[in-house]
Formats: sequence, structure tokens, C-alpha cells
Amino acid sequence: MAGVLVYIEQVGGDVAAVSRELMGKGQELAASLGGPLNALVVGGDVAGLANQAVALGAATVYTVSDASLATYTTDGHVAAAIAAVGAAQPALMLASASFQMRDFGAALAADLDAGLAVDVTDLKVDGGAVSAVRPSHGGNVINTYSFAAGRPVVALVRKQSFAEAAGGASGGTVTSLPLPATTMRTQVNNVAPKTGAVNLTDAAIIVSGGRGLSDKDNYYKLIPPLAEALGGAYGASRAIVDAGWVPYEHQVGQTGKTVSPKLYVAAGVSGAIQHLAGMRTSRNIVAINKDPEAPMFRVATFGLVGDVNEVLPLLTAELRQRLGR
Amino acid sequence: MHIVVCMKQVPRDNSVKINSDLSINADGIEKIINLFDEYAIEEGLAWNEKHGGKLTVLSMGIDEWVEQMRRALAMGATDSLLLKDASFANLDTLAAAKVVAAAIKKLGDVDLVFCGRNSTDDESGAFAPALARALGWAQLTYVGKVLEVDPAGKKVTAERHLETVIETVTASLPAVVSVIKDINSPRYPSLLKIKKVAKIQPPVWTAADLGVSGLSAAATISSRVPPPPRPSGEIIDGPDAAAKVRKLVDKLLENQII
Ligand SMILES: Cc1cc2nc3c(=O)[nH]c(=O)nc-3n(C[C@H](O)[C@H](O)[C@H](O)COP(=O)(O)OP(=O)(O)OC[C@H]3O[C@@H](n4cnc5c(N)ncnc54)[C@H](O)[C@@H]3O)c2cc1C
Ligand SMILES: Nc1ncnc2c1ncn2[C@@H]1O[C@H](COP(=O)(O)O)[C@@H](O)[C@H]1O
Repeated sequence: MAGVLVYIEQVGGDVAAVSRELMGKGQELAASLGGPLNALVVGGDVAGLANQAVALGAATVYTVSDASLATYTTDGHVAAAIAAVGAAQPALMLASASFQMRDFGAALAADLDAGLAVDVTDLKVDGGAVSAVRPSHGGNVINTYSFAAGRPVVALVRKQSFAEAAGGASGGTVTSLPLPATTMRTQVNNVAPKTGAVNLTDAAIIVSGGRGLSDKDNYYKLIPPLAEALGGAYGASRAIVDAGWVPYEHQVGQTGKTVSPKLYVAAGVSGAIQHLAGMRTSRNIVAINKDPEAPMFRVATFGLVGDVNEVLPLLTAELRQRLGR
Repeated sequence: MHIVVCMKQVPRDNSVKINSDLSINADGIEKIINLFDEYAIEEGLAWNEKHGGKLTVLSMGIDEWVEQMRRALAMGATDSLLLKDASFANLDTLAAAKVVAAAIKKLGDVDLVFCGRNSTDDESGAFAPALARALGWAQLTYVGKVLEVDPAGKKVTAERHLETVIETVTASLPAVVSVIKDINSPRYPSLLKIKKVAKIQPPVWTAADLGVSGLSAAATISSRVPPPPRPSGEIIDGPDAAAKVRKLVDKLLENQII
């Protein structure tokens, strides 16, 4: 076992940002492990992605390509990954912690009898051994995992945890692996985009509202326009999701999404422990609340004590003007 | 048909402490059914009502968990099963799934297993896929709607609600399904039912009963600490809201946050 194998995810034919992040961190980890950084591309049409993975620094890009792999299935994609693990013999396999990759990574780790860490925020190599940091208990506990020697490690990494690979590398090669024989126990009948779907976990800027917005109309009057002025997405506390103001997909927190954006604006959100669980690792937090004692101020980079009805329209107008939007 | 719902007990909130041996100390915090598992129980009940047969609520846990298992019985589960052994204490998710898989194999007639999306304490979400692989069964994770369970045709069709897409997938039975929060509205058990199940002791199967031995965690916790405090922030002052807003935008631009 040596080196690192990164599972490449794609968005619209390009390597996903999170996979570029994993290639960036993977380079460093592979060097510490004294092995190569390799990548794996699985899908219907893999050539473009494979070339991009070479540019991101992969020594070898393993590809498994077949029409049956164009849509994700656990059986198909895990079988492809096991073939690549057999060829690359990595000490560490990296993928993102998206829902699909959790479906994949946990199944893969079970099949390989590997060590598994999910929702990893940091990785280290010490004396040839990998360790992974992951929060649990709604971010109240930070765990460091060590792994049994002689077994590979599968780490599913939270988005925006690492800097992206620079790109522009060359010299790597592409190795195509044959399609492994697999029993397919599922069949995908349809894949439909969620209407009005926001991928909060991808957003660099998120503006969230809570019960301080008073009602649904006021939420839509104040929060999405501010998010738009910042070029971000909008989120919500569970209180207002449960009240039916905003769809569940927008919920941030322990039972909603876990996000780590560059900027998280919380307006009229108190900062309950379960909400903080979903956003406390954001790089910058702005809290806007009329109660100076609101717990959100304790995690805020910048706090503004004020009434959302007064502050948010001013802030949206100011940003539109200064950012030219 | 025979449906199994895998259930965990968790603390109501996560203001837990860390013991010196790195185990979690949730003393004094009320214990509840893992939020997502309540949805799993409700979904199991709905299909049990449609197709008949058994619904077994199953936990690999400790005696204390029986209280929440009884709540599942009061909701309508027909059977319960506790897997308990000193050797189960420090297993990781993958090894825990192997133990539960051994129990499901021993039950012998299980068609469908419902789990929660994840536990709200450990938050791994790896259990359902690991269980499916240990059993060699199909898995459908992040299910927001089960469209059809067809025991005769041996298939289940469901919507998987992912971040930006909804996949409609058919799986062969037996299968493991993990459910998300808005799949249904879990029922409240009546006081009468709660009373009726108050003395039920779930059967207990040990490692010896299951024939599992030599299980080891591939991942172990070497350090466990509270999160580092965030660097103390700055309260934006100003004579009025407009001045504060201007100052906030200045700060965001100066620090290249926007
Ligand atoms: C098992 C479990 C899981 C949970 N999961 C989640 C989760 O995933 N996500 C989540 O968010 N919550 C979750 N919760 C709920 C959580 O405990 C809180 O109840 C919830 O986050 C509160 O939402 P809120 O901040 O919008 O409302 P509140 O706590 O009511 O706060 C409203 C805030 O708005 C401020 N405010 C009021 N009027 C104004 C005004 N005019 N201008 C400015 N500020 C104003 C108030 O000062 C207050 O701070 C969970 C709870 C449990 C038990
Ligand atoms: N010890 C356990 N006993 C029974 N079911 C469990 C156990 N641990 C996890 N589960 C199930 O697996 C789901 C996901 O848990 P996890 O992967 O640990 O976050 C839970 O919602 C339960 O349905």
C-alpha cells in the first residue's frame, strides 16, 4: 500500500471543486506517505476528466468507462473503485462527503474492510500513518481517528476544507481498467433536478434567516435579495423550516445541511447549539440580531446588533452599490 | 413480510462532555430515539400496515436503550431485539454493521431494513451502506419517498433526495433503505399503548448467540477535544443602522471576505 487515490467527481463535464481540493491536499499527503498521487475517474465518458486530473497532478489516472456507469449506482461504482484500488494499492483513498459519496465510500470501505472516516475536516500523516479529524455531536466534539495498520483508509472529506490543486501539471498517464463483472441490484429509473435546488454545501456565501424575520413574506422580502447582492445562496433555521416558510433543503444545522462557506450571514437566527452544528466551521460569520446576548454573537467574526427589518434592506442596498450588482 | 428498523438511542442535545478514557459522557441529558430513526419507524409501520407480517425494532446497544425501543413498540412495532455484548462497546460503524448483519441473517426471513440517514450524535451515516454490503443486499440511501414495496415481485422503488437531484431507483429485495427527515410525519404513541408495552423486555442476543468474534475497529479515536474557541469577534458600532451597515461592508471588503 502506498500513496493516495482520489475519486474524481464531476460537475457539468468538469472536475468538481471538491475534487480539485482533494487533489491539492492529496499531493501533500502522498509525499508524506512516500507514494504517488493517483486519481480515479468512473463514468460513461471519462477522457476529458482524465486529462483534467493529469493537469491537477495525478501520476496515474485510472479510468473505468462504460455506458452503464454514466449514472451512479452503488454496485457499479464500488466495483469500479475496487478494481482501481487493486491496481493502485493506495494507503489512502479520498472522496467528498456528499450524500452520493457517503453512499459510495461507506460501501467501498465495508467491502475493503478498510478504515473509514466520514465528514473529515483535516488529514495528517505522521510516521507513515494516516490520521483524520472529524467533528461529531453537532460540532461539539472534535475526534481524531487513527487506523489499524495494514488496512487501507477511506476518508470522505467535507467540502472547502482544503485549498485546490494549482493545476497545470503534466507527465501523468491515463490507464484504462476493464469493466468489472458486477451484480447490479438497483436500477435508476430517473434523475430529476430538484426544483429551485440550491446546493448550500457548494455555496461560498450563505445568508440564513430565522424566526427573527417574523413571517414567510418578510423572509422572502429580505433574505434572498441580500443573498443575491452577495452572489450567495440562502439558508434557514429549523424553526422556520418546520413552520413551513422555507423548504427543508435550505435548512442548516444538525438535522439539515452542514456548511463551511467563506461567509455565513445569520440574520434573526439565535444560534441554538443544533444550528451552530451546521455552520460553526464557516470561515467568517456575520451575526445580525436585535438581542446582544444571542449566542450567535459568540461565534461571529462581525456582529451587528439591530433590527433585521431596518438593517437588511440597508445592507442589501449598500452591497448592490459597492459591488456594482 | 418482515421489516426490520435499526434504531439508536441518542442524547436530546449534544452538550456532551468527554470522559478521560475518550468516551462520551451524556449523563444528565435526556435520551431520545435518534431523530431520523423515528421517520424510519413510521415508514416501516406504514408498509407493515399495508402488507402485514412483522416489524422488528432492532438495536445494538445497552440496557438503557430499551426505554426507547419500547417507544417504538408503542408506536406499533410488533417485535424487538437487542444485541448486547461487552465486546460490542468499542466497535466502529463498519464493525457494528457486521454485528447487526449477523442478527438479520439469523432472523432469516427479513425482506426490508429501514435505517435513519445518520445518527445525530456520531453523525456518520455509514451504517446503512455498511449493513447492506455485509448482507450482500441492495441499498437505497437518503430516501425521501418510498413509492412502492412489492414483496411478491421482490422489489422496492424509492426517491433518493440528494443535494441537487432526485433519483428514482428500483432495488431488488431484500434491501436496506435509509430515510431522511421529511419522508413522513411520525405518529405519537397513545398513553394506553405506552402503558401496554412498559414491561416488555426485548430478547437479547449476545456475540456468542450471533457467532461473531474477533471483530475489531479499523478506525479508533486517538484524541477527542471540544472545538477550539473561535477567535473573538468584533461588534460593529455606529450611531445608527446605516452607519453600522457601511462599517460592516467596509470590513468585509477590507478583509477580502467579499
Ligand atoms: C434534535 C434537534 C435537532 C435540531 N436540528 C436543528 C437544525 O438542523 N437546524 C436548526 O436551525 N435548528 C435545529 N434545531 C432547533 C434549534 O434548537 C432551535 O430551536 C432553532 O435553531 C431556533 O431557530 P431560530 O434561531 O430561527 O429561532 P429562535 O431561537 O426563536 O431565534 C430567533 C432570533 O431572532 C432574533 N430576533 C427576533 N426579532 C428580531 C428582529 N426584528 N431583528 C433581529 N433579530 C430578531 C431573536 O433575538 C432571536 O435570537 C434542532 C432541535 C432539536 C431538538
Ligand atoms: N448501534 C446501532 N443499533 C441499531 N441501529 C443503528 C446503530 N447505529 C446506527 N444505527 C442505524 O444506522 C443509522 C445511521 O447511523 P450512523 O451511520 O451511525 O450515523 C441510524 O439512524 C440507525 O438507523
